[in-house]
Amino acid sequence: MPGKPDELFRSDLVALVPKLRRFAQSLTGNRQDGDDLVQAACEKALRNAAQFVPGTRMDSWMYRIIQTLWIDDRRRNRTRGTAIDPEDAYLSDEGRAANLPEDRMMLAQTRRAMADLPENQREVLALVAIEGLSYKDAAETLAIPVGTVMSRLSRAREALLPKLGLSQGRRQ
Amino acid sequence: MTRPPMMDKQHLAAFADGELSPEEAAAVVMYLADHPADQAWVDDLMAANAALAQAFSAPLHEPVPDRIMAVLRPQAEVIPFRPALRQGAGRLAGIGLALAATLAAVVVLLQPTPPAALILAGAVPADSPLRDVLNHQATGSSVPFGSGELTILASMPAADGFCRELELIDRQAGNLQVALACSDASGWVVDAVLAEALASASGADGFQPAAGGDAALLDRWLDQRGAGLALTPDQEAAAIKAGWAP
Repeated sequence: MPGKPDELFRSDLVALVPKLRRFAQSLTGNRQDGDDLVQAACEKALRNAAQFVPGTRMDSWMYRIIQTLWIDDRRRNRTRGTAIDPEDAYLSDEGRAANLPEDRMMLAQTRRAMADLPENQREVLALVAIEGLSYKDAAETLAIPVGTVMSRLSRAREALLPKLGLSQGRRQ
Repeated sequence: MTRPPMMDKQHLAAFADGELSPEEAAAVVMYLADHPADQAWVDDLMAANAALAQAFSAPLHEPVPDRIMAVLRPQAEVIPFRPALRQGAGRLAGIGLALAATLAAVVVLLQPTPPAALILAGAVPADSPLRDVLNHQATGSSVPFGSGELTILASMPAADGFCRELELIDRQAGNLQVALACSDASGWVVDAVLAEALASASGADGFQPAAGGDAALLDRWLDQRGAGLALTPDQEAAAIKAGWAP
């Protein structure tokens, strides 16, 4: 049925939602804005389902939609910074992510450091380090050259690692 | 002994990110053995990757939020039934709204001529065969009932007990009923019965029992009962064993 999202498309999308929320929250820094983003992206995906090529990676396609919507939103709200959820909001996972206080502190620092990155570095780092995309897939998702993915990753890590208490000037 | 050439940071990062071929990765491993500072930097990159993955892992352990699910759920799928009921559904929605505030037991007839009602709204008498079925029958299984066949479509926990959706198809009498029965301290009560005549002419290759899609019409009564998500087979078996004690 052309133009009408079929059952398989919808169920594939539902299965992707946890990963999409993770990606969106790593961009927005908090779950409210992240879920707004995923919701808007799902609506857009259903409207444009005909543009999705079956057999290609739906996750990359959705990451792209999320990233585009997020950048649009950031452009319109230039002054608004990235609001981070209070640490507690992430600790409701029954200690799956962090048992020790120092682990929690590390995770809170990580989220803060991620939010401090420029948008274009944050999205590359999110796709590669969190979503596990290859440089090539990240480049295709963001429609940028692989070399740009690598240079943005480098800059992102130069800023991020010292804030995590890692790599304090060991080299250069 | 010749030292391997210095490797640039991007190459080491590519190693940490799993981008290199097995041969390239092996060369990096050899190189790192001789370069502890670079080894430490690669360790840090991997630690940062792990911290990032963990810091944002919460959504992977969470169910899809309702508001996102609402977007992804097919809108028109509520009544994948026959056109007769589809028209009726509009009327039903209106009737349902009018009654929503009262929690009265109702029978909604979707046909001008009422079919012989086999399930009656109201309290289920202690000696009724329906009570037996409600007490003991598992979801998905069918039993003969009157001159028809009765199937339990689903069981849900509710505020004061449990609710069960059932479907009765009576080909002989030419009618179909979908009903909602809920238990409370006093026993089973049929909250709502939706009935319609079977369109015998159209379904030449046999009538397909509605697979619960039409039961969505019962949603407003389920809401009033504070019904939750359908029980799993295990949960349902436990509830049957416990005599549907709340």
